Amino acid sequence: MRLALVGATVVVAGATAAGAGLVRFPFITQVGLVQDQTVPFSHKHHAGELAIDCRYCHAGAETGADAGLPPTHTCMTCHSQLWTGAPMLAPVRQSYATGTPLRWSRVAQLPDYVYFDHHVHVNNGIACVECHGRMDQMPLTWRAQPFTMRFCLDCHEHPARGLRPPGMVTRMDWSDADRVFLKSFGQRAAARKHLDPLRLTNCETCHR
Amino acid sequence: MTRYDALSDTRGQAFWQGLDQLLEQPDFRDKVDRHFPVFAGFDLARRDILKCLGATLALAGLDGCERQADETAMPFVRNPAGGPGAERHYASAVELDGVGQPIIGICRDGRPVKLEGNPAHPASGGATDAFTQAALLGLYDPARSQAPRREGAPATWSEAEAMLSELAARLDQGRGMGFHLLTGPLGSPSLLRQIGELRSRWPAMRWHVHAPLAGTVPEAVLPLEKVQALVALDADPLGPGPFQTIHARGWSTRRRAYQAGDGDALLFVAEPAPTLTGVASSERLIVRPRRIEALLAALSAALNGRAAAAGLTGKEQAWVGRAAQELLRHRGAAAVVLGAHHAAALHATVEAINAGLDAPQASHAPANPQGEDLAALVAAMKAGTAKSVMVLESNPAYSAPPDLAFAGAFQRVPLRIHAGLHPDETAELVHWHLPLAHLLESWSDVTAADGSCVIVQPLVRPFFDVRSRHQVLALFGGAVADGRALVQETWDAHDGVDRWNSWLLSGRVEPAAKRSAAPVVPATAVLPVLSGPGGLDLIIRRDWSAHDGQFAHNPWLQELPRPLTKITWDNAIEVGPALAARLELENEDLAELSVGDAKVLGPVWILPGIAPDTVLVHLGYGRRAGGQVGEGVGFDAYRLRTSGASWHRPGARLRKANGHHPLASTQRHTTMAGHDFVRYVEQAGAALPPAPEKPSMYSPQPKGEGPAWGMAIDLDLCIGCNACVTACVAENNIAMVGREQVQIGREMHWLRVDRYYSGAPEDPEHVFQPVPCMHCEDAPCEMGCPVNATVHSPDGLNLQVYNRCIGTRTCQAYCPYKVRRFNWLDYVREDPPELRAARNPEVTVRDRGVMEKCTYCIQRVERAKIEADADGRPMGEVRTACQQACPTQAIVFGNLADSSSEVSRRKRDQRDFALLEEANTRPRTTYGARIRKGRKS
Repeated sequence: MRLALVGATVVVAGATAAGAGLVRFPFITQVGLVQDQTVPFSHKHHAGELAIDCRYCHAGAETGADAGLPPTHTCMTCHSQLWTGAPMLAPVRQSYATGTPLRWSRVAQLPDYVYFDHHVHVNNGIACVECHGRMDQMPLTWRAQPFTMRFCLDCHEHPARGLRPPGMVTRMDWSDADRVFLKSFGQRAAARKHLDPLRLTNCETCHR
Repeated sequence: MTRYDALSDTRGQAFWQGLDQLLEQPDFRDKVDRHFPVFAGFDLARRDILKCLGATLALAGLDGCERQADETAMPFVRNPAGGPGAERHYASAVELDGVGQPIIGICRDGRPVKLEGNPAHPASGGATDAFTQAALLGLYDPARSQAPRREGAPATWSEAEAMLSELAARLDQGRGMGFHLLTGPLGSPSLLRQIGELRSRWPAMRWHVHAPLAGTVPEAVLPLEKVQALVALDADPLGPGPFQTIHARGWSTRRRAYQAGDGDALLFVAEPAPTLTGVASSERLIVRPRRIEALLAALSAALNGRAAAAGLTGKEQAWVGRAAQELLRHRGAAAVVLGAHHAAALHATVEAINAGLDAPQASHAPANPQGEDLAALVAAMKAGTAKSVMVLESNPAYSAPPDLAFAGAFQRVPLRIHAGLHPDETAELVHWHLPLAHLLESWSDVTAADGSCVIVQPLVRPFFDVRSRHQVLALFGGAVADGRALVQETWDAHDGVDRWNSWLLSGRVEPAAKRSAAPVVPATAVLPVLSGPGGLDLIIRRDWSAHDGQFAHNPWLQELPRPLTKITWDNAIEVGPALAARLELENEDLAELSVGDAKVLGPVWILPGIAPDTVLVHLGYGRRAGGQVGEGVGFDAYRLRTSGASWHRPGARLRKANGHHPLASTQRHTTMAGHDFVRYVEQAGAALPPAPEKPSMYSPQPKGEGPAWGMAIDLDLCIGCNACVTACVAENNIAMVGREQVQIGREMHWLRVDRYYSGAPEDPEHVFQPVPCMHCEDAPCEMGCPVNATVHSPDGLNLQVYNRCIGTRTCQAYCPYKVRRFNWLDYVREDPPELRAARNPEVTVRDRGVMEKCTYCIQRVERAKIEADADGRPMGEVRTACQQACPTQAIVFGNLADSSSEVSRRKRDQRDFALLEEANTRPRTTYGARIRKGRKS
């Protein structure tokens, strides 16, 4: 009897531990997982090699909650002139001609009960790379960070860490930046904006 | 054949009984037993249940390990204006009985998600009524007509166009002889222009107006903000209808001035059954309908210094004496108003009294009787001279008085055309049914309550193959016309012209370029003299929710508790307690109500405050076509009307019938059971006794630097109109649960309006009390939650975190105010795509097993906070949906940390009190005590 009880405890504890580990596996968090896309769009080529600004396509990042996937019209501003016959781009041309939206598999996905707002982050100096990773090095797009509540809270509990000068939010490579300056900048910015962790970690900040 | 097919033919109330009915079907039970033999004759022992519970608990955690489902992202081909997700506001209007209700339509990604009053328009001032809020759901109604139909079979617009141009060619030859156009009450200058043009093209055509709710004279629009003493004789200016918003705003302006010590706000009401105006008054006299004439004569005599005629009771004499005295004391700021359904001769007396009192001018112009009435059309149809009839936005087959025998006469017409939103009762009788566009998706114009015009602009492209009413009439001209051009022609403007653009921007034509008179309402027959045959007086009124029947298919309105009875999804035969006792009737007993040859069978509801020997019924129910939601709900009170007597009928008989019809009422108890939920002070400036600070076992809440949100609700201003409740439903994606669920107390409204009585049941004092979440600083619900799903924010909000909630309902049990709502069933997952489109994307749609409650419109608070943070400025004002809609500004929300805010001012008022103070929850929502008197003495 005692053995059974001990066994049961071990099984329950083990299952809990396994479950807790499981939710951190990339299989669940989808970090690094590349999905099939209608058009194999390369951020490495567009954002990295051609150095097109993030906001050229994701125009809502500075003005609204939704950064927005680019409308077909934005793709065609260049591709009506360049690579006009490329078979790879056939779905884009077709979408433009017929008015039917392109269908992408969403990479940066949040649960429906989370209300994330891009422009309040971007305008206050949270760099794109903080959440989306080195997009300039992704030939195909994958999720760079586990979009779990823990990931969001890491920043909301320590808002000073991620703050950058707002003019530099689209910068991808910060490896050569002055660490000491960034740290003191973040602390000063957080104080100036009254970024109180108590307020930032409140449920209503993200859930309504 | 799916198991849901069994439900597809159900109608009305039965529509909502679905799930239980399925389970009761024997073949379904058999199928379950076949597929799950283990459950056939299932008998579970207590230990097995405990084992199952244990296993459930152990496995419940695994739910969190589920990988997020993949999601397809579909960007626009071309971005809408403002980018994806941006909120766009457009000034426009919706229409009720031909009167425009100015709105600001809020659109997200090209679809309207909320309607708000237009703050820049004097007829709205930012407020709306319940009908305007619910018009949004009308746009998305899945039961709307989606394509033309010819004799019930699907047809195309090109076929309809061919038919109409052929008809036009024939009419051109005969100068329109034999053609009759039937419309509802009209308030659109463009429509009037089009009809005028048709009439000059075809001089022999005839135009009829069918307005089932019209009285003998048009309703007056009174400048109530200037009226310090108002006497209402069987009139309901604050009640539901096209002028509710403007009247309630005016009344509230006056009442607030009185509260601040500026003048009086006296309201004398004499009426046979309680109305919102009567309930708001402290000088309410209950009289049978036939006494109104005598009261008016006595009032006129008293004002002219003559002795009142004999025959008044002592109570009546005293009331008339006080009313006359106050009217004279407030000469220049006093007025008398009489119900529009009373005889024209009585209205002449009222006009004379008002002229004598130098009353503020009622702004409504007299009726414009260009159109003939429905009786003339029926006569022409019976005589066979009507060769073709077009019914535009009217439903006479349902709402015509039965003695006209409209349907029979109509079917003798060789060509019958109907244009409307729904495949309703009239549409079933016609050769051609043409689907119209909803006003929110078409170009039009409409005259508002203050006499100014609003250009109606579409908030979205039409979802279905529909045309605007102007386009349908223009089809007589041959080509398909552009809806916008038809309206621009009326106003002599075109696109890009500055004044056209400024009209669209402001939502108001300025200056009132073509000031149209009142909506066209035909004069109907005079009220017969109510000499006293035996029997009961029957009063027929428009409904609080269904209006004349046009909103019977709107679940937001059907599930809205009617202000006085709190009944949903039904109408009832309403009688006073004494009459009920005499006839041995109890609530919900079936009774047969007959008058003349007509009779209806319906459930009885005992309504305090109704005149003796008087029976009250409401129109708009018993719909026979038009959509699953409204069909079969309630009984059809139009059957009790005759063309001569639309509103009052003497000599009615009421008899107890066999059976019982349970009603879904949301408030069964009517007394306060010793508590003082509602408090009174005698007059403006008086104070409530101070509440001593009580010790609390709760640890003090952390105080943030930011705002402290709070709400103040002034019971002295609340008229119980339900605009706030409907606005809350629209803003917060609140699920409608249906009649059966309401019956077992599972309605989901976050904001309820309680109604209490005090005094004798025959003549009680009424009071309304809106109850949202109190956002207690020491909240018992937060103590009860085992998973911390309800928590307190530093700015004082009591938050509900849906994704944490596991549905123990402890918080609901702990809440002293009973404002928490539990999702017992999945009310929304089967919603059709149209209804999903109507939802507010800023608010989570709640799932089964989750608790929810008023959030103080946290999405609006957060939006304001985010916009301020993003722009690096301090946070501005936030208005909740209920506050926004309230026409009397009874509800005020704001920052308590700012001592200059309106909410802080209200809380400093000596009338401020907390609901259930003895519970010591320190609620952030508090109330202002009701003031008994309307004058300082």
